[in-house]
Amino acid sequence: MRRSTIIVVAVVLAFLGAFLVYPMVYVFRAAFFPGGEFSLAFFSNIAANPVTRYAIGNSFLLATVSTLLTAALAIPLAFVSVRYRFPAKGILGGLLLVPMIMPPFVGAIGMRQFLARFGSLNILLMNAGIISSRVDWLGASRFWGVVIMEVLHLYPIMYLNVAAALANVDPTLEEAAVNMGSSGWRLFRRITLPLMLPGLFAGSVIVFIWAFTDLGTPLVFEYRRVIPVQIFDRVTELSDNPEGYALVVVVLALTLITFIAGKRMFGMKGFETLGKGGAAATEKSPGPLGKLLIVGFILGVVGLACLPHLAVVLTSLSDKWFMTVLPESYTLDYYHAALGHKLTFDGIRNSIFFSSMSTVVDVLLGVAIAYVLVRRRFLGSDLLDALVMLPLAVPGLVLAFGYVAAFSPTFLNPRENPVPLLVAAYAIRRLPYMVRAAYAGFQQINVTLEEAAVNLGSSTLRSLRRVTLPLISANLIGGGILAFAFAMLEVSDSLVLAMKERFFPITKAIYQLLGRIGDGPYIASALGVWAMVFLALSLMTAGVLLGRRMGQLFRV
Amino acid sequence: MVGIVIANVSKRFGQTVAVDGVSLRIERGELFFLLGPSGCGKTTILRMVAGFCEPDEGEILFDDRPMGAVPAHRRNTALVFQNYALWPHMNVAANVAYGLEERKVPKGDRTRLVARALERVRMGELAHRMPNELSGGQQQRVALARALVIEPDAVLLDEPLSNLDAQLRLEMRHEIRRIHDETGITMLYVTHDQKEALSMADRVAVMSIGRVEQIGDPRSIYRTPANRFVASFIGETNLIAGTLVSVEGEYGCVRTALGEFRARLGSALTTPGSKVECMVRPECLHLGQGGDNAFRATLASSVYLGEVEQLVVEAGGLELRAVTANPSASAPGGGATVDVHFASDDAIVLPAQSEGGSR
Repeated sequence: MRRSTIIVVAVVLAFLGAFLVYPMVYVFRAAFFPGGEFSLAFFSNIAANPVTRYAIGNSFLLATVSTLLTAALAIPLAFVSVRYRFPAKGILGGLLLVPMIMPPFVGAIGMRQFLARFGSLNILLMNAGIISSRVDWLGASRFWGVVIMEVLHLYPIMYLNVAAALANVDPTLEEAAVNMGSSGWRLFRRITLPLMLPGLFAGSVIVFIWAFTDLGTPLVFEYRRVIPVQIFDRVTELSDNPEGYALVVVVLALTLITFIAGKRMFGMKGFETLGKGGAAATEKSPGPLGKLLIVGFILGVVGLACLPHLAVVLTSLSDKWFMTVLPESYTLDYYHAALGHKLTFDGIRNSIFFSSMSTVVDVLLGVAIAYVLVRRRFLGSDLLDALVMLPLAVPGLVLAFGYVAAFSPTFLNPRENPVPLLVAAYAIRRLPYMVRAAYAGFQQINVTLEEAAVNLGSSTLRSLRRVTLPLISANLIGGGILAFAFAMLEVSDSLVLAMKERFFPITKAIYQLLGRIGDGPYIASALGVWAMVFLALSLMTAGVLLGRRMGQLFRV
Repeated sequence: MVGIVIANVSKRFGQTVAVDGVSLRIERGELFFLLGPSGCGKTTILRMVAGFCEPDEGEILFDDRPMGAVPAHRRNTALVFQNYALWPHMNVAANVAYGLEERKVPKGDRTRLVARALERVRMGELAHRMPNELSGGQQQRVALARALVIEPDAVLLDEPLSNLDAQLRLEMRHEIRRIHDETGITMLYVTHDQKEALSMADRVAVMSIGRVEQIGDPRSIYRTPANRFVASFIGETNLIAGTLVSVEGEYGCVRTALGEFRARLGSALTTPGSKVECMVRPECLHLGQGGDNAFRATLASSVYLGEVEQLVVEAGGLELRAVTANPSASAPGGGATVDVHFASDDAIVLPAQSEGGSR
């Protein structure tokens, strides 16, 4: 190993060791060795407590249902968009990704107006005669309220993974089946679906983990019977109730079990290793009715998915909104209030600062890691690869809980000053995306370009700076913008780690405002709209820079 | 089993004419080859027969049944793909059994038929392997078994050997021919490899940019090419420009820069005075005196290859290629003057403008 490689690996290991491995180990130790002795006492407490037992089962069910519904929505979307030609395909494909620009819990604020007992949905459904009595979406049926929010927010990630997998299916494999007498549904079930399972599985893992550990949405719907909320409640009382440790271990264990079980079940094999050849896949051109159906279907999904966004915009603008489908009158007051309010001003400033810092860390580490992984394969580089991708499987909530537990007794105590830990959490969570973006870049650049520069007298570092980095700058800037935008969106770690108002990032400020009686929800919505606009702009910039490669960052 | 009729079929992709008014008749039980350079439309014809694309004009018939309205999955053809297209999520036996399942063959019969098909391609022991655990040649055999097991009306092969290495390709040529002779099934085979076509085919259709240039058995397309394209696409050839002087039955007399030669008349060439070319294969040019047609030349170069020696001779401003089999004595040095001769039956007169393919 060269010295530069050793330095990079050492820095990466130190960072990940301190901010990823150590907190996890700390939580495990606290859960299994309370007071230094091995004990399963906390676990039996959890099992004995009907509230936590119910919460675990309920969260599992919530995540499973969300994943299934997301897949049911994403598969047909991917199928029509990969296989058919229809008008405005590019624009519609872009619109499908719109839900990603906002954390579901912000949308949930708006949806509370839509879904309330006397809200728009009930009024609409009753006027249409579909229901006869008001459905309590936010009460007895809150489970479905949360599921709907998760599905509408997460389907783009599933869609990107499935569409990529479908596009990679060698068309001659389907032709061979047609040639043998298959068609229609049987062809899809026996050949196409099994071949796109890897993508479906990858998407499902992300969606499942997200839905299983999402804290913001159930909090806004005041749905406490899920495990993330239970953990959140215990963060504040960690010192006298160590059950939280055990809950976190349970979450991690269930996440891992799902992951491994899914992998077993789908029998992941490297299908793409088989030779490709033959005819390229051709997009079919459906008749006018077919085109109408496809466009209608996509617009319908986009419309549904934008409903929470629309609800947030409406809420932020509404002056009076009660017992009617749409607000009775509108006002811009809350926008002024949102920008003038101490909490929101600080929130925006804090978020930009934290996110910038974490993005700098991500870019530096990401480029270095990707470079070693691509150009300096060494013994154990696969292990490094796996370690860097690990944050994808560690929920933000679990990470934040580990930070509070592990670092409270140290100088990094988040109760005093959470800034270093917030930056570290944001950086760790988005590091996989950055590594992947840089990795793709390095792979595209033939190593001989660097060698040519070295041959003409450049040092390795100089050839990197003068030749390679300029060539992959689009990847790096695009990846950086995404890392930044998603750091601004971080919910669970922000909610947990930022405890003093002074250090609140945007998401925590929105959550705090929501709890205020009176104009709170409206100001929170206005702030949400600002965040949405900001994120949409960031994503569009990243999209321009990354082009088609942008979708790849969200694939596993 | 069916015979396949391709009746005046054309196919365009955008501005490009891929297939231009092609008519072919493939008899029942025939091993028929479509031979041509890449982009000549041969694969498009095969895919139209399989039903993966529709002709813009003309029609395709199996015996006398028009196939226009029959979708691909009901045509009962079996296509062997260039990349084999084995389903990576099914093992060898499942791949082969698939077509039988679609045909609702009962389980017991299915197992028996699959075993027999795998035996036939000598893959019986690997029935439980996954496709990515097989070598290219083994995958090829499985693809063949998958095609044969359904007892299709016709087997369609799309450059099936192009992904194999040279040794294996030779072996599989015999293998496919053997399977054809055992089953007697109609086969339509697409390739750009003239050796494959010459060594395996009952009949060959030579194609260039969307058109059929010549149909015939391997011997006739090699020995009596219809035009310059066929002559130069199949094997190496020498073309000597000249004028047709006289016609005597099947032979014509051609005046060239190298002298007057007697050669077979290729097509309906009967008008003395027309511009022609005299075609002679390198292996038909012999050094030394004798033969019906002779001329003197200068030896420009020679390459010794063991079983043969390749020579280039110059005469009348033309470079001609010759091949001597079993070269025992060393050839005369470069620049030596040599006598060259060839038999009238080994040469053929082609119309000079018959470029073929560039019409």
